[in-house]
Amino acid sequence: MRISKQLIALFLLPASALYFFFFLVPTFSAFRYSLYDWRGFGTDMNFVGIQNYVELFSDRLFWLSMGNTVTILLAGGVIIFGLAFVMTMMISSGIRGRKLFRAIIFLPNVIAIIALTTLWGYIYTPQFGLLGAFLGKIGLTQWAAFPWLGPDTIFWSMLVAIIWIEVGFYLVLLLAGVDKIPEDFYEAARLDGASQFQMFRKITIPLLWDVLTIGMVLWSIHAIKIFEFPFSFTGLEPNVNSYTAAVYMYILGFGQRQPIYRLGYSTAIGVMLLLVVILVVLVLRRLMRREQLQY
Amino acid sequence: MIEQAVDVRQSARPRRRARDRRWIRQLPAYIFLGAWSLFTLVTIGWVALASLKSNREVFREPWNLPTQLQFENYQRAWDSAKLGENFMNSVIIVGIAVLLILAISAPAAYVLARAKFRGRNLLTVIYIAGIGIPFPLLFIPLFAMLAGMNLTNSREGLILVYISLSIPFTVFILTGFFSTLPADLEDSAVIDGCNDFQVFRHVMLPLASPGILTAAIFNFIGLWNEFQLALIFIQDPVQRPLSLGLYSLKNSMTYTGDWAGLFAGVVLVMAPTILLFILLSERMISGITMGSVK
Repeated sequence: MRISKQLIALFLLPASALYFFFFLVPTFSAFRYSLYDWRGFGTDMNFVGIQNYVELFSDRLFWLSMGNTVTILLAGGVIIFGLAFVMTMMISSGIRGRKLFRAIIFLPNVIAIIALTTLWGYIYTPQFGLLGAFLGKIGLTQWAAFPWLGPDTIFWSMLVAIIWIEVGFYLVLLLAGVDKIPEDFYEAARLDGASQFQMFRKITIPLLWDVLTIGMVLWSIHAIKIFEFPFSFTGLEPNVNSYTAAVYMYILGFGQRQPIYRLGYSTAIGVMLLLVVILVVLVLRRLMRREQLQY
Repeated sequence: MIEQAVDVRQSARPRRRARDRRWIRQLPAYIFLGAWSLFTLVTIGWVALASLKSNREVFREPWNLPTQLQFENYQRAWDSAKLGENFMNSVIIVGIAVLLILAISAPAAYVLARAKFRGRNLLTVIYIAGIGIPFPLLFIPLFAMLAGMNLTNSREGLILVYISLSIPFTVFILTGFFSTLPADLEDSAVIDGCNDFQVFRHVMLPLASPGILTAAIFNFIGLWNEFQLALIFIQDPVQRPLSLGLYSLKNSMTYTGDWAGLFAGVVLVMAPTILLFILLSERMISGITMGSVK
């Protein structure tokens, strides 16, 4: 059927206009703002070239927070995909209640992060918290008062909670991929005497490759901008050790108790985030494409 | 007869043994998935229970059931902490935003999926690229823009931001739905005398309604839970959506120590989305896979 030019224009106009003015334009303005020294909305902007980026290189907090973001991306990613994979294999092994398990494991994904950080904040509270009280009850009294939210452990405590939230989403994705693999493939392999492991390696993995690639791209985009969990985990002033790049960026731009308003410098971190997204997506596409050619 | 019966029993025995063995082989899966699910249900169920306890009980006996149900916790959260107002703000903001997102994205997705015109692929790529742009990058430029339009600190401004930033994702999943619809339905509608707008309005849009409902659910849950953009654009407590209200209640908790009231707030935030998920989990889960698994 031919759709007239007028209708095409009419249908595309509202979405494209909003997307252009309130999404693409600010994205490009961000690149421009990152080249200015700008100390507050409504004040003058001074062009400083790449000075903000130079300063980032020697900013300890930037590297700490960017390091945390990358750790969530890589270590978190490996654990999340590892767990999602194991769960996918378990659920698709013909057990009962597969839909129920899938739904419950997915459940945290529909709950507001701010509700989940409140919950996890209480889980980790020493002595009175859920974990502390539980450890005390089973006799591990010396562990009951362990400061899970202390500076040394807060990042890892947070990572555990993030993994618990995210696994379900990638489980649903991988399970759908596995469901798409025709049962005949396994039948044929079984007739040829293939072992369970061989079938996994030669059938499941190759046929799941595209889904896996999409899953990893989605996780990278999501992980690099992670903000809400670390920001709201520990009250009004997040612990520095749980900063992610996005949290540090927010604090530089809008401040906490005291406003900071280093708007240009803050935006430079945002630009770095976008560059990391682009880099990671390119690397992933390259990596996954090369591997695929082996089959 | 007897011989036959023996025969049946003999052939049944190895089958039953195979079933036993299968069950034992699956035991680790049951234990692992069961423990994980139990943890999730217990923690979320625990918050719901704790929201009905007194603060004393929350602290002294975190693992016991409430002795007397304290519905005042909800009253404190709803009235004193103003979460009631925030709840209504969320209903208005999210309701209007979701309706407009769909009204704007569905026609665009339809055209991108089914019309033939120059630059279609490029335009599709530009839309999808939006999914990869990290929102924090937009904090300051968008705030400067909205401040210039006098739209910061208002529900209208937040709705505008929500609509604009939800377009790429919504167009992406709806394009997927529209492109799976069969072409002969369009053709027969044209033969019946429909013009191209009527084909969209009376044939394709109804056919895509499962997809539109899926997009509506995702946007509703995403925006109901949304927090970071609300944090940037709303300072006035009266205009706050619920997620932001809970955040400020969580921070004031540091001084009040009212955990039970805070947990009541947590339940207010999470009950609507959990309820929706219980009702529509199949649709949501198949919706996730629609876009990504072809």
